[in-house]
Parts: sequence; C-alpha cells; structure tokens
Amino acid sequence: MSKKQLSAVFVKMGDKVPTTKYDPNVNQDELIMKQQRLIEKEIMDSIPLVGDKEDFSSLEGEYDGDDIYKQKVKNLAKNYKYIRRTRPDGNCFFRAFSYAYLEKLIDDREEFNRFRELAAKSKENLVALGFPQFTVEDFHDTFMEVIDQVGKHHSVLSPGAPAGEDLHKVFNDQGNSDYVVVYLRLITSGQLQRDSSFYQHFIEGARSVEDFCHQEVEPMYKESDHIHIIALSTALGVGVRVRYMDRGDSAEVIAHDFPEGSLPQVHLLYRPGHYDILYPH
Amino acid sequence: MSTPARRRLMRDFKRLQEDPPTGVSGAPTDNNIMIWNAVIFGPHDTPFEDGTFKLTIEFTEEYPNKPPTVRFVSKMFHPNVYADGGICLDILQNRWSPTYDVSAILTSIQSLLSDPNPNSPANSMAAQLYKENRREYEKRVKACVEQSFVD
Repeated sequence: MSKKQLSAVFVKMGDKVPTTKYDPNVNQDELIMKQQRLIEKEIMDSIPLVGDKEDFSSLEGEYDGDDIYKQKVKNLAKNYKYIRRTRPDGNCFFRAFSYAYLEKLIDDREEFNRFRELAAKSKENLVALGFPQFTVEDFHDTFMEVIDQVGKHHSVLSPGAPAGEDLHKVFNDQGNSDYVVVYLRLITSGQLQRDSSFYQHFIEGARSVEDFCHQEVEPMYKESDHIHIIALSTALGVGVRVRYMDRGDSAEVIAHDFPEGSLPQVHLLYRPGHYDILYPH
Repeated sequence: MSTPARRRLMRDFKRLQEDPPTGVSGAPTDNNIMIWNAVIFGPHDTPFEDGTFKLTIEFTEEYPNKPPTVRFVSKMFHPNVYADGGICLDILQNRWSPTYDVSAILTSIQSLLSDPNPNSPANSMAAQLYKENRREYEKRVKACVEQSFVD
C-alpha cells in the first residue's frame, strides 16, 4: 500500500493525518537538541551513573521467557559473581572501564604506581600532539585528583571498603565523573591520531582518523566501538575482556580481549549498545 | 556555589582577558556567569569588514561537556545564521569537543563569517545569493554592517 493510500485509510477511519510542515524559519537543530535533552533527562533521573554491585544472578530476571539469553546468562554465571550497571548515556564504556580499573588499583599498589606515572605524563603527550594545553589541563587536573584519591588509601592501615565508597561517590558526582570520561576520550583520540596509519583501516568510509576523532571520540555521549577500546587499552597498557552477549546462536558468550593477547584486568559485559562491569569469581 | 561548569567559565574568562584573540571579545554578564555577551568584529577583506556584531552565549551546568547556545543579537545576513540569530555550525552541534573554550568558539564563528557553508543553509536566501549573485549578497551584508553601528 502506498503512503497516499495509507493516509486515505486513516482519514476514513476518522484519524487526523498529522500535518507537520517544514518551517524554514524554525531552527530545526535547536528543536532536535531540545527533544534529545528531554530523553536524556529521563534516563538521568532513573539510573545512577554507576550502580551498586549486584549478584550476577540478578540478570536472569531480565530475561524471563527468553531462552537464548537465559542460557547465556547461566553460562556466564560460571565465570562471574557480580555485575555493576552503568547509566546508558553513550559514555558507558569509558565510565565502566575507568571505574572497574581504579577499583582494582585500590588493592594493587604496584600497578597503581605504574599507572599514576603514565597518567601524569599523558598531558604533555596530548599537548605535543596539538591538543589545546589550556583546556586539556583542566581535565587532566581532575583526572589526577581522582587517581590520587585512590592512592591515598594505600598509605592508611585499613584499605578496601572505605576507598571503594569514596570511588563510588566520585563516580556518581556528575562533574568529576564526566571529567574522567572526557579525559579518557582525549587519551583515546590521542592514541588514534598518534598511530593513525594503523587505525585508518578500522574506519569505514572516507573519513580521516582526525575527522573520526572529532565526530566519534572526543564529543561526550558518543558510543564506543572496538576501535575506541583497542586504542584506550593500548594507550594505558590495561587489558580489557569484553563479553559479548547478543542474540547469536551459540550458548557461550564470546570473549574478546583488548589489546589482543593481553591479560585482562577489567571485565565488561556488552549487550547491544551498552557496557556494564563484571566481577569474576 | 562552585560547580565544574562555573569553575571552567572563570578559567575561560581569565584566558580571554590574558590572551585575547584578535577581533573577538566576550565577558560574563554582571550577575550571571552562565550568560555571556560577546562581540565579533567583521573580518578584514570580507563584506562583514568594520561590522561589530553582538552575540549572547548561554551555558548550562553541563558545559564544557555540552556546547553552549550561541546567538547573534545583531541582525545578520549569512547563509548559516537563522532568522532568530541562531547559528548552524558543526562545532556547536555534533562536532563539539569539551576541549573548546569560549575563545575557540568565538574565533570559529568569526571564520564562519569569512567562509560560509552554503550547502547547509540556515538562511536559504543568503545561501542562494552567496552562490549565484555575490554582488547582491554583499550588498545585503553591508546593510547589516551599517545596522550594527546603530544597535
């Protein structure tokens, strides 16, 4: 049935055919952005940036009557004890990754020292690549403050729980949490541009690596793909294992390690469009 | 109360004063750091030359993670400026990066004046004249330049 016939049917049924005419005097960009903000606000009000640790079995309830997913959750439960959910705002990979990794550093002083040194130097590397010093500095300062808050707990006698609580607070404070995400996006962008001849192969279409970074990496709320994960894990020297849970036939949930062959320090669960944190047994 | 957005805007303002780019200026309004007034001087060797174009910049608490809303207050005739003064510029929409500050925003708009993009028009008349009748385009722009002295 053609569109015209279809609307004729609607009219016959007494429905009003919506008539939204394009008005060239209305700023369409702003209208679209307004609508988008409304949707974002709804998500913001209902889901925390980073949630509490939940028993992995809590996932099962989400898939009642869905045998494919149910079987996958069962299989995954052999490997993972807990899950921690993140807000689906397009920043979830960066937020989940940094939370999971910093949480690990609370108990790993040696790795913490390695990472702190790398993080401290990272600003100069970005500036050398042409990032504006003035604004990069702003994000870097906050990034280092968050890292040092984790390190602070290495010197006290009873590490563990209180450090985790502090981290949880920092990551649920929109300002600090988003600054960490921005800085990781910049590091990712820097890595892509530094090694652009390699990463160019992963980019579809005629876009240059630089364009890709400006459109898909640096802006907040842009979702992450393999290429972001490879670049960030390589830049920081931190192995990530992502478990891909989709509607595929196999009962196993496929694992990908980034960079390839690395020892995973962070485990994430990917369901189409979203990343959460996983905790192995 | 100091929030990341307000802290960052204070930094932006300080930088704009200490290291001002040529041809643009901006400052927060007296009682609200989230709303700024700005002026862009028409770039040399363009029909906008000698114009002093006023703008407002409105920030939200999500700045610098989201771009501010920038609007010309002065009447403009430009392919990428809407009738209400709104600006169609990629870095203020889908290409925004948190590394941009007020100074970068204003200089980007300034270069948009020199190099309009008639392929994504916000003012179709201006875009058409820019492509097909440059003389008439320049005449209309000059009228805005003169208007900008009076505003």
